[in-house]
Amino acid sequence: MLETKGLCKNFGALEVAREVNFRLERGARHALIGPNGAGKTTFINLLTGVLPPSRGSVLLEGEDVTLLAQARRVKRGIARTFQINQLFRGLTVQENVCIAVSERLGVGGSMLRAAGRRADVLDEAARLIDMLKLGQDADRRIIELPYGRQRLVEIALALGLQPRVLLLDEPAAGIPSAESHILLDAIATLPKDIAVLIIEHDMDLVFRFAERITVLVSGAIFAEGTPAEIAANREVRSVYLGSALDG
Amino acid sequence: MIAATELARRHRLRWWEALPWIASLACFFAFPNYLAFGTQVLITILFALSLDLVLGYAGIVTLGHAAFFGAGAYTVGMMAMHWGWNEPISGLIAAALVAGAIGLASGLVLLRTHGLALLMLTLCTMALLEQAANMGAAWTGGFDGMPGLSFSKILGLFGFDVLYYRSQYLYALAVLFACFAIVRTLVYSSFGQSLTGIRENLLRMHAVGAPVRVRQVLAYTVSAALAGVAGALFTQANGYVNLAVLSLERSAGVMIVLILGGYGRLYGAFVGAIAYMLLEHVLAKAYPTAWQLGLGITLIVVALFARNGVIGIFDSLRRRIERSAR
Repeated sequence: MLETKGLCKNFGALEVAREVNFRLERGARHALIGPNGAGKTTFINLLTGVLPPSRGSVLLEGEDVTLLAQARRVKRGIARTFQINQLFRGLTVQENVCIAVSERLGVGGSMLRAAGRRADVLDEAARLIDMLKLGQDADRRIIELPYGRQRLVEIALALGLQPRVLLLDEPAAGIPSAESHILLDAIATLPKDIAVLIIEHDMDLVFRFAERITVLVSGAIFAEGTPAEIAANREVRSVYLGSALDG
Repeated sequence: MIAATELARRHRLRWWEALPWIASLACFFAFPNYLAFGTQVLITILFALSLDLVLGYAGIVTLGHAAFFGAGAYTVGMMAMHWGWNEPISGLIAAALVAGAIGLASGLVLLRTHGLALLMLTLCTMALLEQAANMGAAWTGGFDGMPGLSFSKILGLFGFDVLYYRSQYLYALAVLFACFAIVRTLVYSSFGQSLTGIRENLLRMHAVGAPVRVRQVLAYTVSAALAGVAGALFTQANGYVNLAVLSLERSAGVMIVLILGGYGRLYGAFVGAIAYMLLEHVLAKAYPTAWQLGLGITLIVVALFARNGVIGIFDSLRRRIERSAR
């Protein structure tokens, strides 16, 4: 479904993505792991069009989208969350979700009807808010919420776009462990044909979620396989998993 | 569904929104000797409202908004002076179209930039127009501008001249009301919500697939058209136009109005314009040589202790009350 071919990204002499050939299948539950500075977030930025690649291409359903702007890729079904919350901090939770839903429904540019009277947008936003157990905070501004709750709003915004490919950049970071099941529950309710790629340091969550894992080290793919294969891979354990699993 | 009801409630017309209009009409009867001043206040409100759309809602920082005010002012002035076209309402429409076109053309170029570069380029746009007006003396009157302009009756019924303060005031109030209705509809629409999103987090707006620049240019164009209407009203009400309408002082003044009243709050333009012009009026009378000092001190106090302006004070009070009620 989403594929990269020879994807490279340089910042001057620094290579942050090196010949990445990656494939995310339809309906995949795929995790991308690696030590800090491995280039995981950069890879997501390349997939979503935040950064242009130095070489190589990004294909969605076989179509080259490398030159498409970020907003155009979103329209084609690629949605993401950010490692550090990127929300509309002065707006309420509901307004945040409504903005995403409005854009998906193509009414974000509508000038005549009050946003508060768009039943389709409001109903959809309310459903997502309920799904992520944010109901009691729906009318609170983002700046009034604890960080963990804000992370859930990040997820709600991405889900509001009803993507075909969902890229989650450390979605559980900052969410209290008692609430991380809300995140997994939300992902579990997604239609099975949506491909989900998750970057996460919480190995417990990764091994519960992923059906396939890619290990990225120094901007290049180091290993790829099922969770069992990755857990059994000695080299992976030595460069990354050993410390993560022991920790 | 509680929240859905809450958002709908906030976007509904509220009873207190009638107050500014009732107060404006009350002023018409209560202060018949101050209607010329009142007209200037209404024009300033409209100008500030147009700036609020781009600065307060879309987060586009500009120091050159007088460019559009001036474009509208000169449009009706030149139409009256050279073509004898002095019908007021069609003059307003022409001013809106000209200022809107300039807003669209400049917005397409300027809004590719951000921050200081944008600030400088908006300033340059205004300076270019000011110089064009200065150099095109055959059309604009150059440095002296165009004095002694007269306009025909409004709808062919109501005398309209610098001497007809009552007509002027009601006319300006009606135009402000119509423009306010447009701005209110816009800011509470999905489009307005997306503008607020752009102001709050550009990166996220791209990530939800919004055509950010198209929205910014649209907002800039509408705002320019409204500023053009304010400028046209200024020329019609005063019967003259000169280079002062394109000055940095006018751009900075309207920004001060918004800072005083509170930007991104719709009614901040009302509160700010009244506060600014009253202060100016009172201080200039009391201290003719040092009135700007008082204005400056007021601005410093607002910037330090009420960053969201006068309306912001009421907003935080309301939030505090709501929080304690929860």
